[in-house]
Formats: sequence, C-alpha cells, structure tokens
Amino acid sequence: MNINQIKKEFPIFDEKIQNNDLVYLDSANSSQKPKVVVDRINEFYTKQFSNVGRSVHYLAVAATNLYENTRTSVQKYINAKDKNEIVFTKGATEALNLVANTLGQSYLQEGDEVLITELEHHSNYVPWHFLRKSKNIKINFAEINEEGEITLEEIEKKITPKTRLISITHLSNVTGAILPVKEITQLAHSKGIIVVVDGCQGAPHLKLDMQELDCDFYAISCHKMYGPTGLGVLYGKKKWLEELPPYQGGGGMINEVKKDRISYGELPNKYEAGTMATAQVIAFDQSIKFLESIGIENVMKHEADLVEYGQELLQKNNSVKLIGNPKNKGGVLSFVIEGVHPHDIATILDEDGVAIRAGHHCCQILHDKLNIPASARASVGIYNTKEDLDQLNESINNCKKIFNL
Amino acid sequence: MNLKELYQEIILEHGKNPRNLRKTEDFNKDAKGNNPLCGDNVHVYLKLNGQKIVEDISFEGSGCAISMASASIMTDLIKGKNEHEAKEIVEDFLGMIKENPELMSENLDEDEKTKLMSLSGVKQYPMRVKCATLSWHTLISAFDENKEEVKTEN
Repeated sequence: MNINQIKKEFPIFDEKIQNNDLVYLDSANSSQKPKVVVDRINEFYTKQFSNVGRSVHYLAVAATNLYENTRTSVQKYINAKDKNEIVFTKGATEALNLVANTLGQSYLQEGDEVLITELEHHSNYVPWHFLRKSKNIKINFAEINEEGEITLEEIEKKITPKTRLISITHLSNVTGAILPVKEITQLAHSKGIIVVVDGCQGAPHLKLDMQELDCDFYAISCHKMYGPTGLGVLYGKKKWLEELPPYQGGGGMINEVKKDRISYGELPNKYEAGTMATAQVIAFDQSIKFLESIGIENVMKHEADLVEYGQELLQKNNSVKLIGNPKNKGGVLSFVIEGVHPHDIATILDEDGVAIRAGHHCCQILHDKLNIPASARASVGIYNTKEDLDQLNESINNCKKIFNL
Repeated sequence: MNLKELYQEIILEHGKNPRNLRKTEDFNKDAKGNNPLCGDNVHVYLKLNGQKIVEDISFEGSGCAISMASASIMTDLIKGKNEHEAKEIVEDFLGMIKENPELMSENLDEDEKTKLMSLSGVKQYPMRVKCATLSWHTLISAFDENKEEVKTEN
C-alpha cells in the first residue's frame, strides 16, 4: 500500500494552507474527501439530478436506484443481515437522537436505567438526558480506568436490575480506547439489555461486522468516513426498527393519510421523512468503494503504525503529557503541555500548517474527570504519514520555545 | 499572520502570572462568563465604593494565554477608575480588537494604552478574538448586574 499514492487522491493536499503544506491531523473531527467523492456529487447534480422515491420519470427512477445502491453497499460493508436495517439520517447525532427518542416513546419507562460511559461524546449523552427530563429515566456512568479505558468488568459492575439499555462509544475520540463492544453486547443480551453503539470513530477505522458485534443499534457519521457532510447511517436490528414508532413525520414515510387516521410506510422509508440528502447518499457509495479498494485491514494496520510512532515521539517529548494509554487504541493522540493552553498550542501549530483540534472535543464529562478544562488532539486518517507526526512534534517544540519552556 | 505579535512577552508574562487572579472577598458586584466552544470561563468580582469607583477588581477562571493575559491586564487598568470611565475603556478596547487601529480613550494614559495594545495581535486571528474579549464582556455584565452568564461568540 502506497500512502503517497493514496494521498494524491485527496485534492486538498495540493493546496497551500497559509503557504504551508497541509498536515491534517483532525480526522477524528472530520476527514478530508477523495476526489471520487467530490466528483460524484458534481456529476450527480450536473447530469443525473432528481428527487428519489417519488416520481416515475426516468431521472427519478435512476436516482432512486443509485440511492438504494448505496444502502446495499453500506449493508455489505458493515455486514448487516438486511438492507432495510440501514437508515440514512442527517448525521450520527440524528441517528442517536432517533434511537433515544423512539425508545423513549415506546420502550423505556420511568425509573429505567440507561448505562453510558465517561468517554461519551455529548451526542451520546444529551439525547438520553432529554429522556431523563421527560421520562424520569436514570443515567449511570461507567468509569474510565487509569489508562482511559472502559473495561467489560466496569460495565458489569455498573449494571443493575433496572438497567435496560447500554449506550457506548466504539472508539473514544479523546483517549482512543477501543471498547470491547462484542463482549459488552454478549453480557448485556444475557441480561435482556439493549446495546446502542456510537460508531462515529469506529466506522472509519475499524472492521465492522454487525452480525458479529450483535449490537442492536450502531450510529455512523459519513463525513468522518471520507464521505460528505450532512449524512449519517443508523444501523438497527430489523425487529427494533419494525417495532419502534417513527421519529419524524412528513412525506415519504407514510403509507396512507386520511383526516382521521394515518398509517406509516415500511422500512426503511418509515425513518426517512422528507427529501433526504440525496447527492450525499449517492456520493457516499464512492467513500465505501474507496475504503474497500484499500481494504480495512490495511487501513487499520497503517493507522496503528502511525499511532505507535506518534505515541513514542510525544512520550519522548518533555512536558507533553498524553491522555490515556489504552492497550487497544485507535488513531487519536490527545495531549496537554504543562504551561501552554491547548488553544495556544492549536494556534501555534496552525502557523506551520498543522491542523489539530483543541478544546473538550464534546466530551466535558471526561475532561472534568481528568481535571483539565481542555486538551489538544491530533488524530490520523488514511492519508497521514510518519512525516506528518514528525512535523507535529517539531511544531510542538516551536510552541514550547515561544512559551519559554 | 505573526505569532510574535500575538504572543508578545507581556502577554506571555501576564498569561503565566495573571494579576488579580483571586476573589475579592467583600465584592458587591460580580458576573460569570464562559465560552461554550472552548470551555474557557471567567468570574469577575467588583468592589465599588459610594462614588462608583472601582476599589478592587479580581477574577477567577481558566483559559488560554490570551484570555488570561487579557483579564489580567484589564483588572490592572480598571482598578481606580469609576464606572463611567471603566465602561468607556471597555468600549474602546472592544472597538480596537474588532476594527479600530488605535485606542482613543481619554481615560487611559500612554503607558496603559501601550499595555493594552499588546493584545492587538489578536486581530489577525479571528478565532481568538473571543478569547481576548470574554473578560471584558463579563466586566460590563458585572457592572450592569446581569444575572445571565455571558457567552462569547466571535
């Protein structure tokens, strides 16, 4: 696998960013887009555009087929049993809100407990908080260990007779910890507990097999997966998607509408109300094909090498303190430098064309636990090289120089 | 863009050793501010006397070098000014950070203006302007006794 060749497929790396070559280390936030994805959006709007699933004219039928092709591609990519288990949403956030909202309407009862973890992104906490307010459910938190991991034992410890649902991240966007989702699901199911997985960081970087993981729901963010913004995927087991009520009402999701009664459409239309992000869905097929052409095993190997290299580099750098040291770690390097606030780090790195994120990364619970207001985060994607991490380290040194460290 | 202009010695020094980073025990006005996107937060305490002169001003909070230095320099300059003068200085500072090339306030002497102008490098970094202005907006909120937390967007 030639990374420089792969990098050439991303037009943004031909650009100069404030006169610098771009060192993009913010893929956990959002990934860059390969040319095939950008071109596909352009081609669809230029030559093939029509709304899907409604009209019978030629373009509408062709667009509908393209749209449904992506659904099949996603199904195969994540090894879901049924095509109708794939629902398109406007993002992973909407996917998680859909799950919380519909389970809240018809499944969770007052006093029920939902178990999440201290690693969760706000989008896997706030939707459950809504139910805490509206339905009086209780939210419990599994706690991280010293390494920034959530262990199976910790989950087991936090399960009570009232736990009805566990909602966890697959891969932490701060510590990089990969959670034992399969084992957690086995344990949960043995106790009749549903499992929801926030797969925002998992989907772009890990091999996905829904039938093997066996979780009940899995939320995917397409823009982190070399795909377009404004698009997410919710995988849900068919029995749940059939049983739960609709999330939003509107065109496309209905079967029959009368003045005194309404019946809803079949899956997956039931959850796709209104005109969907058609061009994005159709272009996302190219993202899947792009990942398949590289092979997820190769992606994982490359990113694991990068993380190991970056970790060693930063560990050797005095005054840099890495956050979390999980045994099973994805492509995220979060750190603090004593004496330099993360925002100052990010501004100084930016001057060298090094794009990282600074802040709490939508994980305030975790930062409170670690007793830091913010952290700096470098995260990798398929296009990154060891040279990028060398540049990161060099720019960190410049930062230390400016701050007289 | 020039990092040297942004991170001048005086900024780094105030950022590292902020003045008045404490709580005025007998304060009679205060306000909180935060920047939800960064997680920066500040709490400004004021002690005004009967003539509305700032007898003491202090702040608590955490943030980047720019926001800490800005709050530090602000509290240094505002102490001893009356409410009217202080508000006028805030307006002048916010104007300078956003667009004006210089400070125009008659309530600041040349030394004070020089000190404050050390923050002018922020102008070139639009994403960082809110770091520099948070404590100033919060000061106004304290004077006006706004109970609602100040949230700074750009």
